[in-house]
Amino acid sequence: MRTIAIIGVLTGICFIALPSTAQETTPFSDLVAQAAAASEQNNVPLAVELYSKALKINPNWVQGWWFIGFLQYNDGQFAPARAALTHFLDFGPDPQGFALRGMCEFETGEYSDSLADIQRGLSLGAADDPRNEEALQFSEAMLLTRLGKFDQALRSYVYFAQRQVLNQDLLLAIGLAGLRMPLLPRDVKDDQKPLLISTGAAIYAFMTREPKAGAAFDTLFQRFPSVTNLHYLYGALLYPGDPYAAQEQFQAELKTVPSNTQARIMIAWTLLMRNQPDEAMPYAQEAVRAQPDSASAQLVMGRSLSETSDPAAGLEHLKRALQLDPDNLEVHIALASAYSQSGQMADARREYVWCQEATKDGRNRLALP
Amino acid sequence: MAQQAAAPNSPCAGCHRAQTAHQSETPMARALLLAGSNPTLDAHPNLVLQDGAYTYRIQTRGDQSIYNVSDGTRTVSVPVRWTIGEKMETWVLERDGHYYESRVSYYPIINGLQVTVGQENLKAPTLDEALGRELDHAEVRNCFGCHSSGTVANGVMNLARLQPGVTCEHCHAGSSEHEIDAFQGVFDSAPRDLKRLSAEQVSNFCGQCHRTWATVIRLGIRGVLNVRFQPYRLENSKCFNGIDRRISCVACHDPHVPLVHEASSYDAKCLVCHASQTSNTAANQHVNAKACPVAKSGCTGCHMPKVKVSSPAGILVFTDHEIRVNRPEDPYPD
Repeated sequence: MRTIAIIGVLTGICFIALPSTAQETTPFSDLVAQAAAASEQNNVPLAVELYSKALKINPNWVQGWWFIGFLQYNDGQFAPARAALTHFLDFGPDPQGFALRGMCEFETGEYSDSLADIQRGLSLGAADDPRNEEALQFSEAMLLTRLGKFDQALRSYVYFAQRQVLNQDLLLAIGLAGLRMPLLPRDVKDDQKPLLISTGAAIYAFMTREPKAGAAFDTLFQRFPSVTNLHYLYGALLYPGDPYAAQEQFQAELKTVPSNTQARIMIAWTLLMRNQPDEAMPYAQEAVRAQPDSASAQLVMGRSLSETSDPAAGLEHLKRALQLDPDNLEVHIALASAYSQSGQMADARREYVWCQEATKDGRNRLALP
Repeated sequence: MAQQAAAPNSPCAGCHRAQTAHQSETPMARALLLAGSNPTLDAHPNLVLQDGAYTYRIQTRGDQSIYNVSDGTRTVSVPVRWTIGEKMETWVLERDGHYYESRVSYYPIINGLQVTVGQENLKAPTLDEALGRELDHAEVRNCFGCHSSGTVANGVMNLARLQPGVTCEHCHAGSSEHEIDAFQGVFDSAPRDLKRLSAEQVSNFCGQCHRTWATVIRLGIRGVLNVRFQPYRLENSKCFNGIDRRISCVACHDPHVPLVHEASSYDAKCLVCHASQTSNTAANQHVNAKACPVAKSGCTGCHMPKVKVSSPAGILVFTDHEIRVNRPEDPYPD
């Protein structure tokens, strides 16, 4: 097993990726040389001051903004580092620039911006180095959890299970995503850690297809019988392979926590997948009543109506779901069907094409709605 | 001879003679064969394949077939109880409470055994693993759920209730109760009337086993392999319209009779919409069907081209159900 090397590795690689000195002897090049020397001696305040002076002479010196951002990030000055990196990125997109600015925003608590920047960095190739990749994937998964995108976070953590990366911090973070707690690991109280680490370990066992994963969950249910989302979590993991077993877990969750809307949504969903829209309807109705701004609740309500009594009303719920979550594949699939059923073939065709475009990479998206 | 799907003898035949007369001859009725009822194994009592270090041998004597795999020093043998597939045949094997998709299958194109599609790249480091690919619980349930009748109810599999192949009850759930009630003159419990389904609903109904459009999208099955999933391909067709029953699985295929292979027999189905330049406007407001400028017969030959899919035994040919104007230079639209 390996452990995750975070941030220091990332910034180190970013730093090496750029030239550090100017060639000619001018006031500007003197300042740059002095700044580089200060940086070598870990004198961050002086290095930043000298780089700033150089940038006053030549504000278009792109690397200068990078050096300041990098030094300030390493010195824990995240807000000014973010500002310097924003200047750096004004000159054009750069994978490491987005990644490091995302890391700054992670520290300053600007989580949405941080996630957007890290994901942009990843998409541009910031993770080409495997060590960078682990750090960025971990940050992305933690941010997804913090922002309430728990299912996406769990899918991101599969990356680590596939590579057999394992440590307590990772298990804690996976546990947070699994129990749908919008926190970062650093915000977890000590008394919550045993539950979260044990949950993370059970999820990890499931992700690595360990035969004992089921037993690990049974132990969790015995140790923590009243914890919210524990049965839901196991159901969500079981769902792609065995929706019937998943349904039992969602029902168990409702017994434990009768107010759990997400469990209701998934019960409705599994019934819809089994062509039982009449049975799904009451669960969908309660879900949409409890959480009208949930795209998933609107989706199951829309499908239940479309497939039973009132296709027109169903279509309206599906359109609402689309407003709430424009990139949700299941919403587009449901809309394609609903439009087709109502004879609106141009709209149906648009949704068919959207779904095919969204899945053209051939990846399995057999996941939760 | 063990019992096989036998619609003519089914209780439904008393009233639904037309639907049951030939149902047992359909590919769906023969989607699963029990031990002792497999003509292929009867005709080939000693099928053999050498695959790397392993020798596969399927030996049939009387009603019993045994699937053997040997590494030269040791042999694992299990009885063949369930044959899946009407043309290409794969066996579901049971050993010590575990189920396996057989490592080798029978291919009509070579009249013999070859590695099962999908297992070409699976390594079998041990003799036990060479038996086949172990199936998880859900996969076993899905296999028997589609290829047999009565086996799976509410997600629970009970092989003691297995009826081989697709019987009346498989599609017409509740037909047993209906039969009992009908004898007493009560018809309230008649199964759902599938004739009322829209084209989209038919597609989703058949797609429960043949894969729906949504399922193929979710699974991300791209490339020529998805030609096997006819509901998906049909729904991709420009002429598919979710509410128009003239373009649906059952518009062309009667599931109660054997599959019709003569291409000309499908012309009339196309010409319902594409008969002439003028007929379409009156025929259906949802479809603006052009008449073909090239021909008025042999429609499927051009518009539903044959697609070649490679398998371990060679090229398999499927009819593409995505109806389209097909140009030879066009890539496969997936």
